[in-house]
Amino acid sequence: MSATRRLQKELGDLKSCGVKAYENVDCEESNLLKWTVLLVPDKEPYNKGAFKVGITFPVDYPFKPPKVLFETKIYHPNIDEEGKFCLPIVARENWKPATKTEQVMMALLSLINEPEPSHPIRADVAEEYQKDRKKFLKTAEEFTKKHAEKRPE
Amino acid sequence: MDDEDMSCTSNDDDDYDCCDDDYYNDCDVDATDDVAVTSTHSEEAEFECLNVAQVEKVFVESVKTLMLRLNIGDKVAKLLLVANSWDIEYIVSMYRMNRYDLFRQSHMAAKSDVAYEKPKNGYCSVCAIDGYESLASLQCGHCFCEQCWNCHIESRLSEGVATRIECMESECGVYCPPDFVYEILEKGPLRAKYDRFLFRDLVLSHRELKFCVGKDCQVVIRSNEDKPKRVTCESCHTAFCVKCGVDYHAPTSCDTIKQWLTKCADDSETANYISAHTKDCPQCHSCIEKAGGCNHIQCTRCRYHFCWMCFGDWKTHGSEYYECSRYKENPSVAAEANHVKARRALEKYLHYFERFENHSKSLKMEEQLRDKIRKKIEDKVNEHNGTWIDWQYLHSSVSLLTKCRYTLQYTYPFAYYMQSGPRKQLFEYQQAQLEKEVEELAWAVERADATARGALEAHMHRAEHKRQTLLHDFFF
Repeated sequence: MSATRRLQKELGDLKSCGVKAYENVDCEESNLLKWTVLLVPDKEPYNKGAFKVGITFPVDYPFKPPKVLFETKIYHPNIDEEGKFCLPIVARENWKPATKTEQVMMALLSLINEPEPSHPIRADVAEEYQKDRKKFLKTAEEFTKKHAEKRPE
Repeated sequence: MDDEDMSCTSNDDDDYDCCDDDYYNDCDVDATDDVAVTSTHSEEAEFECLNVAQVEKVFVESVKTLMLRLNIGDKVAKLLLVANSWDIEYIVSMYRMNRYDLFRQSHMAAKSDVAYEKPKNGYCSVCAIDGYESLASLQCGHCFCEQCWNCHIESRLSEGVATRIECMESECGVYCPPDFVYEILEKGPLRAKYDRFLFRDLVLSHRELKFCVGKDCQVVIRSNEDKPKRVTCESCHTAFCVKCGVDYHAPTSCDTIKQWLTKCADDSETANYISAHTKDCPQCHSCIEKAGGCNHIQCTRCRYHFCWMCFGDWKTHGSEYYECSRYKENPSVAAEANHVKARRALEKYLHYFERFENHSKSLKMEEQLRDKIRKKIEDKVNEHNGTWIDWQYLHSSVSLLTKCRYTLQYTYPFAYYMQSGPRKQLFEYQQAQLEKEVEELAWAVERADATARGALEAHMHRAEHKRQTLLHDFFF
């Protein structure tokens, strides 16, 4: 299985990279295919908390993309109530075997920081984002305070 | 003012109608053939049916032509052709303008602005293993081990991708050329699969080629028709539109018929639901969905109390009938203005859809008529009442009826998407004329015994004439 070697390398690289934006990279003790990463966005209204993301790698990784899901609730035009989102870089038809999990996390962070209301997954939130930014920021901030994880020191 | 203008136009139409009829009737006397109008236009596309070997020959000829014109190798020529719909003139002009742009657009060369460091010590970044003696790369130079290439190609093949297998590097758009794939796959079982998909992709990329849509039919149709005309496969006899492959749909365009068929698939459920579960308020005509069990309905919009069952004023209902008051459910009533709008939009759609469907059903029933006529002809011949040839006109009358009704059926999606205006008025006028002639013809054909041959042929002529006029004005 080519996945093991590659995953070990990626896990090691991620843990030692020292980037503040994604911390607490963990994988299940008995299962290298299941990871959790804590995303720490730096832009309003999400900079009041941190968001836990679950990554499940398929057995034929890296030839098939990992499945990424938010485990922390988030009020965002592009992320639904079940934590699903649409990110081209991990879409089945766009996936590239040389793409690293670090790149996926970077893409996800930029999606959190810069919502794309033009192709939303939650139309109501996208509408609010475009038409009433103040209200959106307030709701999202309260939502973050209520549901999100604590930011690491 | 508008009204006046409108009435003026319709008067004009009426006048034309008279003239037209006179003209056509005059024509009938002289006509010997039943197709009188535009002989220059055909609904049938010009095409040829090809087998696999003939298709390969088409490819080889194009490749040779391009090789000679640009003085390039056969493999490069083929890749350029596949990426550019086999449009030789386009490729030649682009090549002369800027060949590097053409190669990039054709997924044959990498974008130059992305930095890439060649891996050291035979390291493959996909499996994260180093020490490989040799790494393989495409034109772009991104190196990976052969085992990873093999897994990648296998994975893409399992998803049906063949000519568009990209390089494994993030954001690199270069495609694996067939030579590279063959080298990686060697002579494994996947090679046959790749060959099959490759042939499919080559045909799909060619603007003149199309697979026959018939079930299990291997034929490839070649046609350079630019109008959505009809082809009929010589092998399996399936007829379809040469441009989009669905059932032939004149006078409607490919885009419109696609929109219509999607709409029918999406909306029929909704339409069924609305007609099954909602009624209009008898006073203000809002659309009301009855969600509770109680038959005493109060319209939330106009406050009218009525009975769901008889639509009568609730006040006139006796107290004995008031049994359903035991259910204290609050009937959920939807009576917003947009519901009225939705109902009206639905009514418009249903108007066209019902007619479209009705003609489709009539066509099916007229299949039986065709059998009946065939039997009738046999009986007559057996009774020595004329010869088989003498009665062929009955047969052609059913064929013509089918042809006319088929066109009529496809006028409805066309009309549905048409913008109101004089052109739509003209279209619907001609549609009504065709509708009238088709029903008269159907009546005459069903009673072919009682109709004299001359009268039947006059009907046939008129129906075909109206059909041709409509197609001439709105399709060709």
